[in-house]
Amino acid sequence: MKKQFPIYFVLILGLIASCITPLTDFQQLDSKSFLTVESSLSDQLGPHTVQLTFSSASVKSNFIQPVRKATVYLTDDKGIRENFLETNPTTAAGVYTSSPNFRGKVGNTYVLHIETTDGKKYVSNPETMPDAPEIQTPTYQFDVKTNYSVGDPRRAGFNVFVNLQDSPKLGEYYQWYWKHYEPIYICATCPGGTYNFAKNICETPKGSGVGGGAPTDVPTLNYLCDGSCWDIQFGVEINVFADTYYNGQKITGKQIARAPFDGRSPYYLQIEQRGITQSAYDYQQGIANQLQNSGTFFDVPAETRFNTNMKSLTNSTEKILGIFNVFAVKKKIIYIDREKGIGQENPVVPQITGEIFSCNPPFPPCKDRVPCFESKLRTKIKPEGWVN
Amino acid sequence: MLINPNSMSKKIFLLLVFCITTFFTFAQNITLPKLSGIVTDANTGQPLVGAAISLDFKKSGVITNASGYYEAFLPVGEIIIKVSNVGYKPFRTKVVIRGDYKLDIQLEDVSKTLEEVIVSSEATKKNIQTPSLGVTSLSIKGIKKLPAMMGEVDIIRSLQTLPGVSSVGEGSNGINVRGGAIDQNLIFVDETPIFNPTHLFGLFSVFASDAIRELELYKGGVPSRFGGRTASILDIKMAEPNLEKFKLQGGIGPVSNRLMTEVPIIKEKLAVLVAGRLSYNDFLFKWFGPANLQNTRANFTDLAVKVFYRPDKNNSISLTSYLSNDFYQVDSLFSLENVVAKQTKFDYGHQNFAVHWGHYFSPKVYMDVVGVQSTYNTRTYAPDSVNRIDLKNSIGYKNLKATIDYQPTESHHTNFGISLVRYDIAPGTLNQGIISRVSPIDLAKEQSLEIAAFADDEFKVSKKFTIQYGLRFVQFYNLGPFTTTKYQEGLPLSTAPVIGTETFESGKVVKSYGGFEPRITMKFSTSETSTLKFGYNRMQQFVQLLSNNTTPLPTSRWKISDEYVKPQVSDFVSLGFFKTLKESIWEVSAETYYRKTQNIVEYLSGAKLQLNPTIETQLLQGEGKAYGMELMLTKRRGEFSGWLSYTYSRALQQINGATAAEKISNGDWFPTNYDKPHNVNMMLNIQPTKHHSFSFTFAYQTGRPYSSPVGLFRLADKTYPVYESRNNDRIRDYHRLDFSWTINNPSMKAQRWEGSWTFTVYNLYGRKNPYSVYFKSDKAGLKAYELGVFAAPFVSLTYNFKFL
Repeated sequence: MKKQFPIYFVLILGLIASCITPLTDFQQLDSKSFLTVESSLSDQLGPHTVQLTFSSASVKSNFIQPVRKATVYLTDDKGIRENFLETNPTTAAGVYTSSPNFRGKVGNTYVLHIETTDGKKYVSNPETMPDAPEIQTPTYQFDVKTNYSVGDPRRAGFNVFVNLQDSPKLGEYYQWYWKHYEPIYICATCPGGTYNFAKNICETPKGSGVGGGAPTDVPTLNYLCDGSCWDIQFGVEINVFADTYYNGQKITGKQIARAPFDGRSPYYLQIEQRGITQSAYDYQQGIANQLQNSGTFFDVPAETRFNTNMKSLTNSTEKILGIFNVFAVKKKIIYIDREKGIGQENPVVPQITGEIFSCNPPFPPCKDRVPCFESKLRTKIKPEGWVN
Repeated sequence: MLINPNSMSKKIFLLLVFCITTFFTFAQNITLPKLSGIVTDANTGQPLVGAAISLDFKKSGVITNASGYYEAFLPVGEIIIKVSNVGYKPFRTKVVIRGDYKLDIQLEDVSKTLEEVIVSSEATKKNIQTPSLGVTSLSIKGIKKLPAMMGEVDIIRSLQTLPGVSSVGEGSNGINVRGGAIDQNLIFVDETPIFNPTHLFGLFSVFASDAIRELELYKGGVPSRFGGRTASILDIKMAEPNLEKFKLQGGIGPVSNRLMTEVPIIKEKLAVLVAGRLSYNDFLFKWFGPANLQNTRANFTDLAVKVFYRPDKNNSISLTSYLSNDFYQVDSLFSLENVVAKQTKFDYGHQNFAVHWGHYFSPKVYMDVVGVQSTYNTRTYAPDSVNRIDLKNSIGYKNLKATIDYQPTESHHTNFGISLVRYDIAPGTLNQGIISRVSPIDLAKEQSLEIAAFADDEFKVSKKFTIQYGLRFVQFYNLGPFTTTKYQEGLPLSTAPVIGTETFESGKVVKSYGGFEPRITMKFSTSETSTLKFGYNRMQQFVQLLSNNTTPLPTSRWKISDEYVKPQVSDFVSLGFFKTLKESIWEVSAETYYRKTQNIVEYLSGAKLQLNPTIETQLLQGEGKAYGMELMLTKRRGEFSGWLSYTYSRALQQINGATAAEKISNGDWFPTNYDKPHNVNMMLNIQPTKHHSFSFTFAYQTGRPYSSPVGLFRLADKTYPVYESRNNDRIRDYHRLDFSWTINNPSMKAQRWEGSWTFTVYNLYGRKNPYSVYFKSDKAGLKAYELGVFAAPFVSLTYNFKFL
């Protein structure tokens, strides 16, 4: 959940003409790449992942190189060792996973070990898995942001709030994460082309369109799914919280998500409330602060925190990005009734362009149904708690 | 025979003019009316020979003869007459010729007219005659002539037109003097300190300009009577109320209204001055703001009161009070981390009071005793029902100072005294006595005492050489009650385990620092009109403003030096050359300086400063250096006046702690946010008549630094920039032209009520000046954005009045 602009910015914006323009002639001065460790271990069933990459040395490309064939394992204070293996080097290079049955235990202390093929060794600080409190009665409220015009999808939405009871122990840190599953019926959309069932991609005939691109007179073809399928959306905005001012109190009305008003059907939302470590909180809060205080009059210095809880054993000056994140999870599933309290507002329903492709005549070998491929963003497995 | 070409050409010109006028005389004297008169010097009454009278802007005209007399024959009708003479201010008028017309004109000697520029002539005198170096006396009249943003006469902005004074950018919360941070300036209004010099988060200065008599900015060469900050002193003096006459003046502008009155209560003995300013911006939000800003409130006020009492010739007593306040209310936004709130209100301001007693023991010995009490309070609160918050912090200042000014002989002028300063800081209290889910917090108060003794002597060694030498000794005590946290040694404070605490009773010394601060300036006159000067001073600073933002928030916390936060110490040297030309109408100056500051404060990456009981764990200390050269050309008087300056300056810092976490930018020197090497400032004032004046100001600055990323990384499906060094790139250069047109007394009649209109255009050519550059993730990596401010011309109209 992204916070709004800081107050000062809005204040001044309201008073004087400040403006934000893209900088078209930006030239990167220096290029560097660093080992990035993105690892998470929770008390949920695995597989848990450790992703090792080299950051991109260019700000204009997402070229992030995986670190292949490393030895990755986890140890805990009870003497247990869990190996993480690069199980799928072709589709998920640099992603190391634990066994599916492995799960962390609240109160145990974990250390992550990494050895790369060039002999470099890395180790994390010991991190103890904190507990996560239960989510008490999530609530939601319809909300209209009048600064957006009618028809803008950002205008109306449902703010989702949680309540929780903080324990009497000071120094507890929370994070929220959400996942939404949207049932879909169209599994492929090919603008100006057709679906190649052998390669499982859209193909567009080359050369006939503008600049050798797709021809513009060919309609967009949509292909139905061959079974149940869901698109997955999840929160990418950092939403962390510390009990600094609420120790032992009930924390109420903490906004954790905003569901879009893009239809009137009930909206499925999986909420995760995580108990995170102080280092994970500090790190993520630092990033969130910097994002929030960028492009304002009161920016905080733009800086990157290296070696949050990872260090190199072979080169003490090596800078490492990312974090070894150890947390416990409490989940809750809610359905948002999108007919409730909406007043005069109408949903902004995304329009599907083009036509549905169907075989004519409807006999094999002609295919018109596209499979629902499993990925981070799509699944055919019925989500937990799904009500038809 | 030698012929002087100048006198030759003048003679030819005179002959020509004579021929023309004679021709006109012969041809037209019978039918045309005669315009004639005598041109004299306004001060001496002496006739002016050779003054040129031009008619209807034509180049040809007549000139005055040896007795200052001129005549011309003109057709009936309206005519514009301009009379000019070298060294005198031109005179223009419009007359309607119906018959013979007599017009005697008095011209003002430029060297005797009042200065029109912000840097007062007093300053020029000082530049040439005294050893003071890096000291600028500013005239409030000059400041009022500068084009003001939204019509608000603004001291902080005006100062930025001077060489060596800059800021992070528009809307910054203070000034940077010769590479110093905002909190390294000591700002005094009648000896009471100002902790936050701006209203509306940096848009306007706090000072009610009508109440101000004069300002002195010490960019270096600080006399020993001032101390406690390392970069500069801005000494603002409030006007003394007139003991004879009632006066009322004020103004109506788009942002605020002003009113000032001087009332004599007992003639020649007791008078009071009250000046106030009140903003009224709420309607802007209510009527013009988008729906989400309609509940926004933003108001500020200033009130200055001075009571002046002179019981006899040898004594004077004055009471000064200066109050400022800002109030804001903003919907659904909040700046206190980890608190859930819907609406936030901000309230902050100064309550400053001072008592002065001045006493002449003899014409040679003068004593000044001053007592000051000053507080700056801030409050941030959210009236949300269950998550109610009320966050307060404050800084209090008390000062007792006695100074004696003694001139034993012609060649010595001494100034010495003692000063006691007490600071009381409440770094943060949350929800004291309030029922809320948000827990109460009360951070330990901090208090300190600074005891100082100081002496200066200005010694005229010879006609050419003068030296001003002084010494200040300060002893600083951080006083209990206080509890110091003890950390395991050899580790950075941010990660070191706490091994215990040490508690100090009330009044007990927690930590003490101190030392001598030598101050020296010397002047060597290279001629009657030029001098060469050298200066050195050391300054110590025991309080600092903690803020990790580009410019500090008004609610930022102050911190007293303690065991972990060492006091800042700066050593400053400068060299200057000054020369006046043409009876001080023109002045050229060149100054260079170098300053080194120890123990400047910086912050850990992602530092948590608000309500942090162990703030020392978030701070880093290092070294700062600043150097530069300032060149300035000033034309002080005449129809055209103004200045042009060029400054080259750098301001760098180094934070190089033992571990990687205690380094910034890998421990290398990096530019500060206000490091802008090239600066050009121009100010031009044109005053053709008493009723009109036009002003232009132009500013050019190298773009300020920002941190440019070396690449990007992905975490939890989001892309973030990777920054490795601080402030390694620069935003686009800044430049801006402002214009103002003032019409004084439009009725042109002499009357008690005198009005004037000022029309201002700020950023005349609508330059989209950047304030910062930042990065946001996008499908193809990161995208750079520029935040611009005042990207369009701002037009405003202000009405000012005087009632005498």
